[in-house]
Amino acid sequence: MRYVIALPFLWLGIFFLLPFALVLAIALGTNAPDSVPPVDLGIGLKSFTLLFTDDLYLAAWLTSLRIAATSTLVALLLGYPMAYAIARAAPRRRPLLLMLVVLPFWTSFLIRVYAWMGLLDENGLLNQFLRWSGIAANPGTILGTEWAVQLGIVYAYLPFMVLPLYAVLEKLDVSLLEAAADLGARPIAAFLTITLPLSLPGVVAGCLLVFIPAVGEFVIPDLLGGTETLMIGKVLWDEFFTNADWPLASAVAICLLVLLAAPIALFQRQQARGPEPARERRR
Amino acid sequence: MRLLALASLLALVAPVQAWAQGSVNVYNWSDYIAEDQLKVFEKDTGTKVNYTTYDSNEILDAKLRTGKSGYDIVVPTASPFFVRQLAASLYLPLDKAKLKNWNNLDPEIMAALAKYDPGNAHGIPWMWGTTGIGYNVAEISKRLPDAPVDSLRMIFDPAVVSKFKDCGVMMLDSATDVLPAALKYLGLDPDSKKTEDLAKATDVVKAVRPFIRKFHSSEYINALAGGNICLAFGFSGDVFQARDRAAKAKDKRDIAYAIPKEGSLLWIDVAAIPKDAPNPANALRFLDFLLEPKVAAASSELTGYANGNRAAFALLPKDISGNPLIYPPADVRNRFYTITAGTPEQTRERTRLWTTVKTGR
Amino acid sequence: MSGPIVKIEGLTKRFGAVAAVDRVDLEIARGELFALLGGSGCGKTTLLRLLAGFETPDAGRLLIDGQDMTGVPPHFRPVNMMFQSYALFPHMNVAENVGYGLRREGMAKAEAATRVADVLEQVRLAEYAQRRPAQLSGGQRQRVALARALVKRPKILLLDEPLAALDRKLREGTRFELVRLQAELGITFVMVTHDQEEAMSMATRLAVMDAGRIVQVGTPYDIYERPASRFVADFIGVANILKIEGGWLALRPEKIALSVERPGLPNVAAGKIVDIAYEGDRSLYRIATDGAVMIVSTTPNLSHRRGDSVWLGWAADAGHPLDA
Repeated sequence: MRYVIALPFLWLGIFFLLPFALVLAIALGTNAPDSVPPVDLGIGLKSFTLLFTDDLYLAAWLTSLRIAATSTLVALLLGYPMAYAIARAAPRRRPLLLMLVVLPFWTSFLIRVYAWMGLLDENGLLNQFLRWSGIAANPGTILGTEWAVQLGIVYAYLPFMVLPLYAVLEKLDVSLLEAAADLGARPIAAFLTITLPLSLPGVVAGCLLVFIPAVGEFVIPDLLGGTETLMIGKVLWDEFFTNADWPLASAVAICLLVLLAAPIALFQRQQARGPEPARERRR
Repeated sequence: MRLLALASLLALVAPVQAWAQGSVNVYNWSDYIAEDQLKVFEKDTGTKVNYTTYDSNEILDAKLRTGKSGYDIVVPTASPFFVRQLAASLYLPLDKAKLKNWNNLDPEIMAALAKYDPGNAHGIPWMWGTTGIGYNVAEISKRLPDAPVDSLRMIFDPAVVSKFKDCGVMMLDSATDVLPAALKYLGLDPDSKKTEDLAKATDVVKAVRPFIRKFHSSEYINALAGGNICLAFGFSGDVFQARDRAAKAKDKRDIAYAIPKEGSLLWIDVAAIPKDAPNPANALRFLDFLLEPKVAAASSELTGYANGNRAAFALLPKDISGNPLIYPPADVRNRFYTITAGTPEQTRERTRLWTTVKTGR
Repeated sequence: MSGPIVKIEGLTKRFGAVAAVDRVDLEIARGELFALLGGSGCGKTTLLRLLAGFETPDAGRLLIDGQDMTGVPPHFRPVNMMFQSYALFPHMNVAENVGYGLRREGMAKAEAATRVADVLEQVRLAEYAQRRPAQLSGGQRQRVALARALVKRPKILLLDEPLAALDRKLREGTRFELVRLQAELGITFVMVTHDQEEAMSMATRLAVMDAGRIVQVGTPYDIYERPASRFVADFIGVANILKIEGGWLALRPEKIALSVERPGLPNVAAGKIVDIAYEGDRSLYRIATDGAVMIVSTTPNLSHRRGDSVWLGWAADAGHPLDA
């Protein structure tokens, strides 16, 4: 039993802490392009200070945050009604509907993103349709814009939003909504005062599951985005592959992680305390 | 250091393990060798060929820098990759005494390659080509009947490029390919590392930036073939691929390639042996096999690229050896240029400038 | 205002092929504590939900205080419901739960707070206003649910199995409390229960339901003494059902006298004691007679033994004749 309990810690240790320690060690080293691997270990903050001498990194970070945030919001607005509809569907139909949500995962991620290129291109299916239907004779091209990146991220990560939302909404006691209606709440009011607050854990989980990978996303902006969409994943790629500067690339990765993990950890602590109000004093 | 090796292992998913004796591990670009020739080598030497492919110099670079890649033969592009890997002493010097086919190599290409690898001590040229202009013939002539297709003006003169904005322009996402061409366009030394020269080159690209749909190093192949763009600055071989695909497509498109008359960056892919190759003797044998004229000729026939093997030239079909875009005439070859790698600081500066060009930041 | 507070005409609700509520007619008077009684699946809960507006009838009419409720959604009906599960909002404290309905009306904060405080006082929960439902006992939760429905001052309070979730001891006390509260407030209560004891002891009138139909409506006394059918006679309390000419006779066990000598009553039967159950305040006997095994309830008489031959006797008006 004791060993079973140790498993998650072992997992965390091997697949998170150890790699993290190695990346940190590389980040603290110095770039040594002529050795294998190209790092001289040591304790130095040069790579980190470099990050602050050029506003490129901050700008890329902020762009990534903005794109990830809007994508997350859109995914939430799309995913919530989906999850709600599935949770309220007849129980025997729910497995099928959930299956449909997860089905895209059966195809390679890369292939699905490529498929979007075929849809959004200048002569892609979307524009062909717009021209054929006469809606627009000269539609612009979505491919290569930030819109395409947002679209791609929302598409790729939507299931990660729907599933946790479904999990909480499915558990939501329908009689609570009946009680709200009975007490005079119109459907909108019942949703805002009952469903939404009670599904908040699912909202938070879904948003984190979309937001975190979206910030570091590389493939989608590379394939669907334009050149001017500067995301932190691309900067990291450039540092590692183009400049072959492992310490700096590692420093970017560490900062990315810390800046993402710190607010989330804080939020989690808040949540752990959150739902229960301060206990009333006993007399 | 052992920790570090483990980190690299985690960073780059499972490099190839050393195979049993009597084998050679070849890591090559995809579609880059006539694969039936591999069988010939296996039959002749009894050595098994473990053949795997990649499609990005950067991936190869990272694997080699991680160490213990397990490969016996790799084929990086000479500049900036092979040369920067040489600086890190990643390759074994070649024992030329064991390469009996050495003299088949083309002295002209060898000379160009020697700029990076003095005395051609570490690598042999495999395929080579140019950097130039790929275009959709119909779309270009519709918009600008007398377009200067064989000039760098085609991609760097705003008055020209702007005409093609609506049908789509793409450019390599590579500072080491585009900035030298911009320097050449300005009449400056394409290999210049001077900050003020690079600033001028950057301005050239910035001026045409509004008309460029995307900077990307491979997407233009499909985009040209599919009619999604009409103009690209890219590698000769990639444009040929686009041309062949477009010709086969349902609504046939005529894609053409032109070598800029101002001069073209010569790219050479180099076959070399990593320093920690597990089977260096077999690697040498494989290199010698690559130097056989029939092997190089068969591979050129497959890829449509020129090879670095002069003895193979006579074996090539006329449509390759006689094609001036593949084997350009002497006056065009004389205007080929090459660039050196520069220091890591220069690399960083160039990458940073390139980011500015692309994103405005 | 006069006339019934609830008037139901031919109300029908089907789920698939099954009519959960089948052509029900019913009137409930103002100020009644009315019980819908029946076994599981008899349609009593569906009828209650039709009153609340959670279900839409397939046929028939439902009037509350003279107003047709057809097409009126739950949030516009002048009724409130206490749910069997209580359905308390877990993310709100007691005061917020109780004040929820008032805020939906748009009542001013101060006024709502006074109303909430008053009703919490009434159900003896004033000290628990800031607690979350999870921090309350079962009985306290039940009272929160009650307060939350009552604070809206509905024309009718609907109670779905109000005591089912409480333990036995608490149930007895709460029964009286509900009756007291109903008398104090003068609000019409409509209660669903499967527990005949609960219905008999609390309701002013009750309706017995079976398979979607109301089989009898009346005061507890009426229903016990004058059941309309063998089903009702059997469902409510214990009854000996005797076949007589032209129908049946329902004979309650306590209406039968038990003696060793042949009694001087108009109806007699001889039999043998099969079983005796001593219950302290009374004893139950199973007597095998010529025709059937009869159940008799008397004050305990310890001289009777199993196997004894005894006489049964009952008055001419002791039984209630049944047609069906």
